[in-house]
Amino acid sequence: MSQILAIAQNTVRETVRDRVLYSLLFFAGLVVVASLVMQEITIGDQDKVVRSVAQSAISLFASLMAMFLGVGLVYKELERKTIYTIASKPLKRWRFLVGKYLGLMVVLALEVALMAALYTVVIGLQQGPPGVPELMNWIGLMAELALLTAWALLFSCYSTPLTASFFTLATFVIGHLADDIWRFGQQAEAENLRQLSEVVYWALPNFSVFDFSSQAVHKLDIAVADLAMALGYGLAYSTAVLAVAAVIFERRDFR
Amino acid sequence: MSELAIAARGLRKVYLSGFFRIPYTGLEGLDLDVRRGEVFGFIGPNGAGKTTTIKVLMGLQHATSGEASLLGVDHRESAARERVGFLPERPYFYQHLTAREFLDFYARLYGMSAADRKRRSGELLERVQLERFADVPMKSYSKGMLQRAGLAQALLHDPDLLVMDEPMSGLDPMGRALIRDILFEERDKGKTVFFSSHILADVELICDRVAVLVKGVLRGCGTIDELVGDRVRHVDIAARVAEDAPLPGLRMREEGGVTQLRVAPDQVDRALAAVHAAGGSIVDVTRARAHLEDFLLDEVDRDRPIDKKKLGVLA
Repeated sequence: MSQILAIAQNTVRETVRDRVLYSLLFFAGLVVVASLVMQEITIGDQDKVVRSVAQSAISLFASLMAMFLGVGLVYKELERKTIYTIASKPLKRWRFLVGKYLGLMVVLALEVALMAALYTVVIGLQQGPPGVPELMNWIGLMAELALLTAWALLFSCYSTPLTASFFTLATFVIGHLADDIWRFGQQAEAENLRQLSEVVYWALPNFSVFDFSSQAVHKLDIAVADLAMALGYGLAYSTAVLAVAAVIFERRDFR
Repeated sequence: MSELAIAARGLRKVYLSGFFRIPYTGLEGLDLDVRRGEVFGFIGPNGAGKTTTIKVLMGLQHATSGEASLLGVDHRESAARERVGFLPERPYFYQHLTAREFLDFYARLYGMSAADRKRRSGELLERVQLERFADVPMKSYSKGMLQRAGLAQALLHDPDLLVMDEPMSGLDPMGRALIRDILFEERDKGKTVFFSSHILADVELICDRVAVLVKGVLRGCGTIDELVGDRVRHVDIAARVAEDAPLPGLRMREEGGVTQLRVAPDQVDRALAAVHAAGGSIVDVTRARAHLEDFLLDEVDRDRPIDKKKLGVLA
């Protein structure tokens, strides 16, 4: 375990000392603050629009960070050849992978916490402190990021960042459309199409499971069971994806 | 306890390159024994398979077939590397770390306690003469400094076997001397040192035994004497003879009326006769013993004839 923690700590340190992180964080903060402007140009329930824009900004930028940092996680080690001195230590390769993953998850958790703090200050001054639904939405977001990062890590184990970015983005988009794919498939007349939609639905992640933003924006109660199910789904699915990544990484030659 | 620090049997590595996965053999059935406590050199031309061998032994690449062990443990087990220190060729490290942070991080991978990490890092930073730069990010280090930091990380856990890929490459004379000193210290402590190098003078100076690899095939293994034997590289003849006298071999220089002539061993009689025929006299005849380089060139020559005259070798 101490080896995994050492790798995770180094990953946190490496990411935190990377300027790219701060650029993304800056833009995320900018959008959260800018969401206040929406109040001036919106008719209807202005508070809800502001909350919606700010929550979406947090979710979008956190997902971008997970994808952007996740695809480079392993590739950078291979490209910079730092893997030579790491993999030649008495360290099982899966531990390295898990350490990198956990390190990035810590960074993402810090990011979400920072953005949530900014949300609390900016939105809270006008509308009061965020409620339980908003907190639960952020917890759901973390589960989504855990799964997205696992996919990014899997792709980065065998492809370049560009290809891995493309695959991760595709997974992200399809994962958010999973429910729609299911619904469209069920309405299809061709049996083959229905079966295909089912295969796609079950094989690819369903990111809408983690999405409680609608309840958070409308300040509606979120069932604890729903959140627990989302967390369980995220944990199980992420573990499975990481296991596949570990098998691929184990078989790799470092040239 | 195994008597061998490294044992390889029939180690083979085939790469599949390009879109059509064309096979390329990097290592062909390598058998190698490195005894505990010896300093072992691994030499060969570029592309001979030295780095491939080291990467396979260190678990960075998978052998296509064959077996190997490090200190008696199957090299595929991560436990095999517990008592092994490794310095890769042109070491690359985390640029965001200082040398002190870097050594602390790597020491944690060996499971060392906080107190041991601090003590050992301090000792090694001083030993490799990096203590003044210990808290400077490694991105500002020169190549020589990185090499020294790399050596420090390889020695962190006081390993029984030290494996190094081209440790002297790119170092200035002081850096090379420092690495040599450390290798001697390790040998004196009874540790095994296995390293590849292109700097054959260092290999001859340091190594107890040497293995020569050409095109992925082991061409020789033994002490320098066993490999080179009593072969003569060339013979230098000093003679007083007319400047325009026809002589075989290479005229090296004229000094104080004495001509320095360098000839191949089988041309000595002809050269001596030519000196006498030109009315000259012999001042001195010296045999230059062959070096490891001659053995290596001969082995490479078996596959691809080399114009040795261009290399300054007449044997």
